[in-house]
Amino acid sequence: MSADEFDPDIERLFSRAPQLPDAALFTARVEHRLQKGSRVRFLALGLAGVIGGVVAVRETVSMDLATGDGVVAGSALGQGIRSASLNTQGAVQSGLDQLGLANLELGSMGGMQLFWIAAGALIAVAAAGVMRLSQDI
Amino acid sequence: MTQSLVDRHDVELAALAAAGGRREFGELVRRHGSAVRGLLRRMGAQPSLADDIAQDAFIQAFERCAEFRGEGTFAAWVKRIAARLYIKRVAREARYVAEVENDDVAPSTDHAGRVDLDEALRGLSEPERLCVSLCHGAGMAHPEIAAALNLPLGTVKSHVKRGLDKLRARLQPPGQSLGSAQHVG
Repeated sequence: MSADEFDPDIERLFSRAPQLPDAALFTARVEHRLQKGSRVRFLALGLAGVIGGVVAVRETVSMDLATGDGVVAGSALGQGIRSASLNTQGAVQSGLDQLGLANLELGSMGGMQLFWIAAGALIAVAAAGVMRLSQDI
Repeated sequence: MTQSLVDRHDVELAALAAAGGRREFGELVRRHGSAVRGLLRRMGAQPSLADDIAQDAFIQAFERCAEFRGEGTFAAWVKRIAARLYIKRVAREARYVAEVENDDVAPSTDHAGRVDLDEALRGLSEPERLCVSLCHGAGMAHPEIAAALNLPLGTVKSHVKRGLDKLRARLQPPGQSLGSAQHVG
């Protein structure tokens, strides 16, 4: 703005906010939209986390740990993990059967890809949870 | 004892809002909602459109609250967001290129013959009103307005100058200078 255009009276008039009778209603609408947006984001992240978690658990229990020659080959630890893995797999499988997800096809993605997707989803859920907590405190 | 929201400064509330504080942001909306809505109306938006855009501006401000550093006022920051949203809308509808002169519209006056700003702005053409409001209401510089409206800088300057001349003439009661007049808000 050049000096000849500066007009304190005009500036003063523009700086005055009009008195609007529905100001409280406007504030309530903005607050409602903020709350709604937050709820949608929370639900979407939660859903993504649940899906990611199911995929991660399913992939984890499907790993054939006993054949990992270089990792736990032949050891008692390997046997123990394998046994626990089979038990968990059975429990998860029965859970998925109950949810109607027994034939869940995960496409042609590799185990590591799915692992990282699931890990990403879980991190997102954790971040959302921390954010939510920080808002509530 | 925790400090009441009404006692807190805008910058403090904005910092709390940036950390996700919706209640603190609600206080900012309560304080500045009318100013933002008023600016949009002064720019030429119909009341319902002005309210929609003001809501969008506040939502955007909440999401970008961490960007507000307190260099200017919070109200000015949200006004600029709102002004830019309105410009986008207007540009989409290609309204500002329409030169509609409203010189024949007589501004209404109060019992003392004074004219308020909103009435006086109605006497400006749409581009003049938009440019003057962006400059003096949203605090945007001429080059910024030119870039936002995709108009030559000279055109923006002449819109602002003509608009201000008209405003001064309309706001000035007969026989009085603007500076000595008592204005109606």
